[in-house]
Amino acid sequence: MEKRKMSVLVVVILGVLTLGFFSMSAPQALAKDVMPVGFSMSLTGKYAPGAAGQMQAYQLWLDVVNQNGGIYVKKYGKKLPVKFVYYDDKSSADTAVRVYEKLITKDKVDVLLSPYGTSIHFAVAPLAERYKVPIVGSTAASVKLRDIKSRYFWFITSCVPDRQMKALVDLLKYLNIKNIAIIYAQELFPRENLQFLDPYVKKAGFNVVLKKDYPMGAKDLTTLLSEVKGKKPHAVIALCYPAGAFTITTQAQEVGLNPDFLFELVGPAVVVFGPKFGAATEGIATMGHWSPKGKWPGAKEFYDRYVAKFKRKPDYLNSVLSYTECQIVQQAIEAVGSFDREKLRNYIANHEFETINGPIKFAGLENTKTPSMILQWQKGELEIIWPKETATAKPLYPKPPWPK
Amino acid sequence: MAKRAALYGFLALILALLCLVPAFASDYVVSLFLDLLMWIALTESWIILSGYTGYISLGHSAFFGLGAYFMAMTWTHIPYALGVLSGGLVCLAFAFAIGFPFLRVRGPYFVILTLGLSEFTKYLFINLEIKLGGTVGRILMMTPGLETLYYSVLIVGTGATITAYFVKNSRFGIGLFSIKEEEDAANSLGINTSIYKWLAFGISAFFPGMVGAILALRRSYIDPYTVFSPAVSFQVIVMAFLGGFEDVEGALLGAVVLTLVSEALWAQYPYYYMIILGAIVIFIVKFMPLGVLHPIKQRLLKEPQ
Repeated sequence: MEKRKMSVLVVVILGVLTLGFFSMSAPQALAKDVMPVGFSMSLTGKYAPGAAGQMQAYQLWLDVVNQNGGIYVKKYGKKLPVKFVYYDDKSSADTAVRVYEKLITKDKVDVLLSPYGTSIHFAVAPLAERYKVPIVGSTAASVKLRDIKSRYFWFITSCVPDRQMKALVDLLKYLNIKNIAIIYAQELFPRENLQFLDPYVKKAGFNVVLKKDYPMGAKDLTTLLSEVKGKKPHAVIALCYPAGAFTITTQAQEVGLNPDFLFELVGPAVVVFGPKFGAATEGIATMGHWSPKGKWPGAKEFYDRYVAKFKRKPDYLNSVLSYTECQIVQQAIEAVGSFDREKLRNYIANHEFETINGPIKFAGLENTKTPSMILQWQKGELEIIWPKETATAKPLYPKPPWPK
Repeated sequence: MAKRAALYGFLALILALLCLVPAFASDYVVSLFLDLLMWIALTESWIILSGYTGYISLGHSAFFGLGAYFMAMTWTHIPYALGVLSGGLVCLAFAFAIGFPFLRVRGPYFVILTLGLSEFTKYLFINLEIKLGGTVGRILMMTPGLETLYYSVLIVGTGATITAYFVKNSRFGIGLFSIKEEEDAANSLGINTSIYKWLAFGISAFFPGMVGAILALRRSYIDPYTVFSPAVSFQVIVMAFLGGFEDVEGALLGAVVLTLVSEALWAQYPYYYMIILGAIVIFIVKFMPLGVLHPIKQRLLKEPQ
């Protein structure tokens, strides 16, 4: 009897789910009074924490646009409010590819926004080419992005390892630093940066007193940091991911490693870094190319709106890049006056855009207009300290000792 | 006998329909079926070792990644079909090479060993790639279209299913099941369990290698973190347990149900589908430890009385 009940139950459950699956798929006919914008987002899975900053930037843009009644599209002679059509890609590239196929062929959205993270960008970029749909990339940084060779894909960030490391070495030269120690994580992005850091360091003639790696996910770096301390470098370059940045900042204080200049590649710009370390952040430098104090139209406004809406600071990389992407897409639509993909593509490829991160223009796939910059924590804020043209503050050098 | 013919006819019809999918369905549906067939191939190949002998392996992601990397390294140098086949053969050879020492270990130790295997291959490739190219990811250009990939996975998935069926219904299969029942007794009865396990391990590794090779081209960008992700191994196990890991239909059903259910939930409840899915899996494992198919089958078998 038990068994019978159970199997009936199973059949019912499966039936309902199957029905649900087939009934969900009818696409609604869209009279043109709304503009569907599609994207895939890592709402769950390993990228979810980082992707939150991107998702919030998209939501903020949606708010801003729709408060103004939408985006004016000449072809329809009216403002069209934006409607998001998005799916969770579970932090998986396979799923993200499926999402974009669905958005393009089934949901038939007007424009696409980018997904989160470098590896998913790579997976999705070929679709832009295949379906001839423009996608402006956001949260992706790798020299390999240039190898994509697509006419329909671009990327915004200037944190591309070769340019980023050149900016760092230029700053070190400017600060007249001689002895440096390099520690790096055995991970993708840090390794890619190291590859470009090495030749610049050699050319600049720095004295590398130590160069050592540490494994991904290492929780105890005290031995390594003590060793670094023993070599008395002026500058410590830590090519790390956020987890490493947190470990290094904590344990450098424990072992009393206090160089005149401390650079942590990825991490110090993460939203929780400031609240976690408080006064200890003073003088820590990192990569990035934005600050609310930057002399760009709308930068401060974006910051204030973001804080008002989400009760937290934007991520200076992910959130800013994603919002910038939205601005580029919006300006292209307004200029072209329709959703003609070829026209949008040509406009994005050939025009300059005004964004909260300053003017942006693509040469091939890459935004070459924004210089690579270095940020530094000063009095509880991240300031741009390099290059001089975009700086919001002078470099704080030497870095003050850790607070007691 | 007539029943059997009807069954074969039904299966042939399904296969024919699957062949026609790209002709009339949208790219989205084709890619959904591609995904589905991929999981069928992985799950069916997994049960050949783990379902039949009870040696639960977490090594599928190692073979998947190995196949993917083989394809990435040889792509544009050798023809597509050869690349896929060799991707499988490389994994077969690898499994044969490590099989004897690995399969001496039993129970939970084997599980941990195979988990170690996939982590080992992941870090091996991270370091190899850094030494060779300075950086880790690889971009694959000029990859074949969705249809080609779909048909490839269809062939591999069908191949894995047929293989799992024939293995089960052979002397070899009976030998494998005897290992699960009582390995030492099987040994004493003259079954060369070492060779049996070794063969099953190799066959079981062959298919994920091919699937990995095909999927590398679908993603067009691979790095060790994503292709050696243990998630592949875990999902295969969940699917096999869901449907029933001792037979071909069970594994098939598990793969189909989990893929379709998660697809249906995923699009509609982006934030909750994992919770719902988790609840379903707990329910099934708790109340139907032999898979959803088992109670239904028992009921069907009882029917005539």
